[in-house]
Amino acid sequence: MNKEKLNIKVKPLGILDLLAFKKLIPARKKNISNASPAIIEAIPPVNTLAERLHPKHQYLIIEDIINETPSAKTFRVVPDMESGTGELAQFRPGQYLSFAFKINGATVKRPYSISSTPQEALEGYYDITVKKGEGGFVTSYIWDNWHTGTKIVSGGPEGHFYYNNLRDSKKLIGIAGGCGITPFRSIAKSIVEGSIDAELTLFYGCNKKDDLIFYNEFNELEKNSKGRFKVVYVLAEEDIEGFEQGFITSDLISRHTDIENSSFFICGPQGLYNFISKELSNLRIVRKLIRREVFGEIKDIGKYAGFPDEVSEKTFNVKVHMGDSFTTIPAMPKESLLVAMERAGLCPPASCRSGSCGVCRSLLIDGNVFIPEDVDGRRHADIQFGYIHPCSTFPTGDIEMIVPRES
Amino acid sequence: MVTSNYQKEFDAVVIGAGNGGLTAAATLAGKGMKTLLLEQHNLPGGFATSFVRGRFEFEPSLHEISDFGPPEDKGNVRQLLEDKIGLDLQWIRVPEAYRLIIPNEKGGRLDVVMPFGKEEYLSKMEEYVPGSRHSVTEFIRLCEEVVNAFSYLAESKGNADKNVLTDKYSNFLKTAPYSLQEVLDALKIPYLAQKILTAYWCYIGLGTNRMNFTIFAAMFYRYITRAAYIPKYRSHGYTVALDKKIRELGGEIQYNTKVEKILVDDGKVVGIETTRGDRIKTNYIVSNASPHLVYNQLIYPKNEVPEIALKTCNARKVGFSAFVVYLGLNKSPEELGINEYSYFVYSTPDTNDIYKQFNKLERPTGQATVCLNNSIPDCSPEGTSIVYLTTLYSGDSWSNVESKDYFKLKNKIAEEMIDEFEKAVGINIRDSIEEIEVATPATFANYTGAFNGSVYGYEPVAWDSVLPRMMCMNDEKYIKGLEFAGGFAFRCHGYSSSLQSGETAALLTYRDYMEVKNNEQRKIEHQS
Repeated sequence: MNKEKLNIKVKPLGILDLLAFKKLIPARKKNISNASPAIIEAIPPVNTLAERLHPKHQYLIIEDIINETPSAKTFRVVPDMESGTGELAQFRPGQYLSFAFKINGATVKRPYSISSTPQEALEGYYDITVKKGEGGFVTSYIWDNWHTGTKIVSGGPEGHFYYNNLRDSKKLIGIAGGCGITPFRSIAKSIVEGSIDAELTLFYGCNKKDDLIFYNEFNELEKNSKGRFKVVYVLAEEDIEGFEQGFITSDLISRHTDIENSSFFICGPQGLYNFISKELSNLRIVRKLIRREVFGEIKDIGKYAGFPDEVSEKTFNVKVHMGDSFTTIPAMPKESLLVAMERAGLCPPASCRSGSCGVCRSLLIDGNVFIPEDVDGRRHADIQFGYIHPCSTFPTGDIEMIVPRES
Repeated sequence: MVTSNYQKEFDAVVIGAGNGGLTAAATLAGKGMKTLLLEQHNLPGGFATSFVRGRFEFEPSLHEISDFGPPEDKGNVRQLLEDKIGLDLQWIRVPEAYRLIIPNEKGGRLDVVMPFGKEEYLSKMEEYVPGSRHSVTEFIRLCEEVVNAFSYLAESKGNADKNVLTDKYSNFLKTAPYSLQEVLDALKIPYLAQKILTAYWCYIGLGTNRMNFTIFAAMFYRYITRAAYIPKYRSHGYTVALDKKIRELGGEIQYNTKVEKILVDDGKVVGIETTRGDRIKTNYIVSNASPHLVYNQLIYPKNEVPEIALKTCNARKVGFSAFVVYLGLNKSPEELGINEYSYFVYSTPDTNDIYKQFNKLERPTGQATVCLNNSIPDCSPEGTSIVYLTTLYSGDSWSNVESKDYFKLKNKIAEEMIDEFEKAVGINIRDSIEEIEVATPATFANYTGAFNGSVYGYEPVAWDSVLPRMMCMNDEKYIKGLEFAGGFAFRCHGYSSSLQSGETAALLTYRDYMEVKNNEQRKIEHQS
C-alpha cells in the first residue's frame, strides 16, 4: 500500500477543517445549553406498551363461576381496579396465566390456560377453566377458596402453544385430553369469530360423556362455524352412538380428517402426549407440524429410563441460598426441587413448571440431580455452567444451590 | 434525607448486567472492590443472551463482535475478556465481512460479497468497481489513522498532547467534525464503492449524511482488518461465564432485583434502593442503565438531578430500537440456498432514506440477516438452520401501537421482512419454518427496561460522537461517584464498545475510590 503521507482535506482548505475541529466542543456545549431542562416524568410509550403486554402482576376478581361438569368449573375473572389492574393483557389463543397460591404454609404457582378469547379480554374478562383432581391439591384449594368476589393474582400471558400463520398449516388438528381442552376453547372460538384464519378439527378424549367440558358450546360453535371447526369426541370408557370409542389413534384421526399437511396441536396429560407421539411417529409427520403444550410437572419420574431407583425412597438435604438468606430443606427424589422449595414455604420464581420457560433457573453449586431429556429446556451454556431449572430437576443426593428471589 | 438503616454496604454497585455492567463488575471485583451487581431480569446479559424454542437456541441481538481478532493478534475486546478478565471460551471467526444486496440500485441490482482482510477487501472492491482502488486505499488508510488516534487518546487518559495530535493525527482532527458522506465525497470515492463501503452503517444506525465519520471509520477498520467473531454458545455463553468470573472474584450478583432509586446527597452517590425495598450503602455506582433512565427516573431525591444533566439528555437523540424475526428452519443452509453468514439487504438505495423510514411504522426497507450455521455449523441439529432477520425502528414510531393490534402487526412486519429477504436472495425460507419468534421494541423494553425499547445508545452525530464525548467526559460528570457503562456511554453502542465501556467506567471508579482512600489515609497519618 502507498505509504506517502496522507493529507485529507474535506473542505478545499485543510485549515478550515482544523477550524471545524476547534468548533466541535463549543458546538456540543451550545447544543447542551440550548436544550430543554425538562425532566421526562412519563414512562416512554414503548415501555408502557411492554408493561401492558407483559404485566408482572394482574390483579383480578372472580366475577362469576360456571359449573361446566360435576368436576369442572369456569372462573370468569375481571380486573381488580382497586388493586391497580385497569385492563387485562392481550394474549394469543392457547396461552396461559400463572397463578400464585399460599396453601398450608407452602407457596405454589400453577399455570392455567385461558379458555376465553382475546376479544373477550378486550371486553373485560378472562375465563379460566379448572378440572378438579388434575393438578393435585391446588385444584381442591381452588374449589374450597375461589368464590364470586374472591381476589386473585396472576402473571401476564405466557406460553408458546398458539397458532402462527407464518409457521403453521391453515389446517389444524387439535388433540385434547381431559382438561387439556381449555386452550382449544379459546382457539376454536377465535377461529369461528374470524380472528384466526384457519380451520380446526378437534379430537377430544375423555373417559365418559359426562366428563366432556364445553360439550354443548362446542356443538353450537361447530354449527356456526361454516365448516371451519369440527369436534370429534372420543370416549375411553363408554360406547355411545355419535361418539368415537377408545383412544385417539392415527387411524381414528385419518378417518375424520386429512392428515396430510395439517399442523397438530396437542394438549393434555403426559400419558396422552406419550400415546399420541407414538401414533404420529407411525405417520412420519415432520416435527414442524407437531406442537404440544407443556404438560406441567412430571408425575412418574420413577418410570424414566436412567432414574436411579436405589435412591427413590430417600430424603435429601437441600441448601438453598436465596437473596441474603440461607435455608436447608428436605427434598425427595420423586419430586422436583421446585416442589421441595414450595413445600418448605420458600417463594422460588416459577411459571411453566415444565422445564421450558426458565423462570426458575438456578445455579447448582453442589450435588447430583436427574433431569429427563424431554423436559430439559436449558440453554447450552447453562448446562455447561451448572444451571438447572428446578421445576424439571430431581435430586439424587444432597444439594446446594443459589435460587434468585422472585421478581 | 435518610442516611441510616442501610442493610448492607458495598464499595461499588453496578446497575444492570448487560455487556457494560458485566465487564464493569468483573473489573471492579478484580481490583478488589467489594462489588454488588444488580439485574432486574433473571439472567445476565441484557441483549447479550439467548433463548430456546423447540430444538433451537437463538442469539437475540448479536451479529458479530468487532475489535476481537484471532488469538495471535488479539483485538481490544479479546484482550479484555481473555487477558484482563480471564475468560477461556471458544470464539468463532465469521467467514466473510458481508453480502450486500441492493435490488434497486441506480444502474441495476447490486449484489456483492465482501471479504475480511485489507488487501482482499481492496481487490474485491476493484473487481466490483474498477478504478476504485486508489480512493478506497486512501479511505482505509484514513480509517487506520482514526483508530490509531483513538488508541492514543485512550492511552493519554484525557491528557493528550496537542502537538502529537496535530503532528501524527492531523487527518483525524480534520475529519472528526464531518459526516461519513462528506469524507467519502472528499476522497472522490466512486458512487458504487461508497455503497459497498458503507454497508455496515446500520450497526450504528445513522444515515451517511449524519453519521460522524470517525465512529464509522473505527468500526469499519476493525472489522476489515481484524475480522469479526461470535461466541460458540450464543451470547449467553460468555455472559454466563462473566457471571461466574464475577462471583469467583468475590463479587455478589442478585437477579430479579430492580434498582428503583439511586440515592444522592449533596451531589454525591450515597446508596441505592431496590423495588423490593433493599437499601444498600455505596459511594460508587456504575450504571448500565442509560443516563436517560438515571436522570429522569432513578436519582432520588429529584432535586439532586442537575439541570445540566437533563439538558444533556434532552440535547441528544436516543438511538433505534430493533425488530427481529428469529427462524428455526427444518432445512440446512445448503438446502435452502443460504451461502453467507451476514446479509445486508437494502431495498432503498440511499442510507439516509432508510434512516428516515426506520422512524416510521412502515414496511422495513433495510435488514441485516444472519444465518448462524454459516459460522457455527452445529449451532442447531443436523438438517436445520437458524436465521434471524433484523431491522430497526425508532421507539417513537411504535408509540401509537395498541396492544390489541400488536400480535397481528408483529406477524405482518415479520412476513414483510421474510418476503424481502426471499426476493433479494431468490430463495424460499417460509415453507421451512419450524420455530418462529418475533421481538419488537416492546420485547426489548420488556426484557431490559431500556428507555423506549432502544437497543442503540445516543446517535453519534458529529458533536456527539466518541471524540467530543471523550473530550467532555470530566465536564459532564454531574454526580460524584456515578459512571456509565453500555451503549449509552461515551464509546457509543455495539457489542465491542459496550464491553469496553464497562472496563473504562470501572477503572474511572477505581481511580476515584483510591484517591479518596489515599486522602483519608494521609489525613490519618497527618493527625497522628
